Amino acid sequence: MNSNGPVELPLYALFLLLGGLGGLWLLSALTVGRQARRSAAAGDESERDWSVPTLDSEGRGTSPFHRWDLRIKIVSLFLFILCLSGLSQLQTASLALIVGFGSIAVARLPLRRSLRRISAMAAFLGMFLVVMPLTAPVKAGDTVIVFEHLHWLTFNVRGFHLAVVISVKACAIALLVEPLIATAPFSSSVQAMARLGLPETICQMLLLAHRYIYVFQHEAQRMNRGMRVRGFRKRFDLETLRILGNFLGMLLVRSFERTQRVHDAMLSRGYDGRLMWTTAFRATGMDWVKGVSLVAGGIGLLVLDRFWF
Amino acid sequence: MHISDGVLPTPVTLAGFAASFAIAAWSVRKTDPDQLPKVAVVTSAFFVASLIHVPMGPTSVHLLLPGLVGILLGNAAFISITLGIVLQSFLFQFGGITAIGANAFMMGAPALTAGWVFRLLKGATLGRHMVAAAFAGGGCVVLAVSILAALLYAGGEDFLGVAKIAILAHLPVIGIESAVAAFTVSFLYKVKPDLLGLDAIPPSP
Repeated sequence: MNSNGPVELPLYALFLLLGGLGGLWLLSALTVGRQARRSAAAGDESERDWSVPTLDSEGRGTSPFHRWDLRIKIVSLFLFILCLSGLSQLQTASLALIVGFGSIAVARLPLRRSLRRISAMAAFLGMFLVVMPLTAPVKAGDTVIVFEHLHWLTFNVRGFHLAVVISVKACAIALLVEPLIATAPFSSSVQAMARLGLPETICQMLLLAHRYIYVFQHEAQRMNRGMRVRGFRKRFDLETLRILGNFLGMLLVRSFERTQRVHDAMLSRGYDGRLMWTTAFRATGMDWVKGVSLVAGGIGLLVLDRFWF
Repeated sequence: MHISDGVLPTPVTLAGFAASFAIAAWSVRKTDPDQLPKVAVVTSAFFVASLIHVPMGPTSVHLLLPGLVGILLGNAAFISITLGIVLQSFLFQFGGITAIGANAFMMGAPALTAGWVFRLLKGATLGRHMVAAAFAGGGCVVLAVSILAALLYAGGEDFLGVAKIAILAHLPVIGIESAVAAFTVSFLYKVKPDLLGLDAIPPSP
């Protein structure tokens, strides 16, 4: 990098850049629009507010991730992810991204679900990619790009580089989440966490909260359909907020009442504060080999990140 | 807004986990053990409610509702928010796995505060309840955004611009959250007032 003052680009380069970004945006809007139309064909368009994916639809399988002892899988993948989040170079972050795609392939998971995770972060990471180049303070040695006639618009390459590293890391980690969570039934994963020392009360709460999301989602959809039939359309005004407040109040009243019935039903079936766990864990030598090599790989990446590049 | 993976420096990530773990343990200890399964079920209702999108000009924002969680659950609010953050991260990748601690602290600590503020201000009339709820609901977002900006800024001065934009983006959310909290509390005041007066969910009759 040189520090010989700002690099000046002709104005049409800015228009080319904006045109390219606009094209990308249009492309993604078209793809999302097609998906929305498809889901609209399947049901009420307004119901996409309440679409919740299933956590463990790929829970049964025979891939190395599926057959891995859950306790070792959770600990080693989490440690690996922690190592990744500490990376600071583009080269090592890209390596991590390759590892992420590799894990999806090894676990034989559909890529679509992981791409959905990445698109969920798009707005947050997009903010970094746009804002950081424009606002990162210029230090000695930074390359700064300006456009002719627009000298107030300074584009700091170091800021952009930082934002790209963050985004690549975030995507790499997002790719590893599906192999971490989706390769076993959720109840088994929670049971493994209990074995790892997470208090049993918390584990139970996690299972209950997960289960009843789908129940209340159903309830909310029914109430929403009723409101639409009666002519409610969301707008940008106080009246919409008042109606949504009533809707929320109703949802809460119903869920608190339902909560009481659920609790009574649990008590009458003999619930005494413990859940019956059904999964048996047995760690083999292979499980340990996979776990230790993954964590070693993560630490290796960190060492490479700090001392090589 | 939820912090994704890869943004926070490692010390901040670990401090977030430590703080959330400590407050969650306190929150569980402060709650009657018999009520914990109920808190979990109510968490799902709030989770579903937070999926609602509110139109805002050309775009839309989804509800956050930490203020209402604090108002209705009191000290149990923190454990409820933590569960919600974990599930959001697992299900949608809204908020990273490594940022669970920081995100739970960012939403949970303001929720606890909102609960205390609501109890202090609510008085006995419908009007007072609505004002207290608006104050708690909006103030909760102000607190959460301040924590968010501080967490981002912890990454160094390069992150100052992003922190400022995050604050700006949340200004309209403050209004929406405080209006929705006030209207929801007004509904509950008329329909099921006992939900508003207690520290936890009322026991079985």
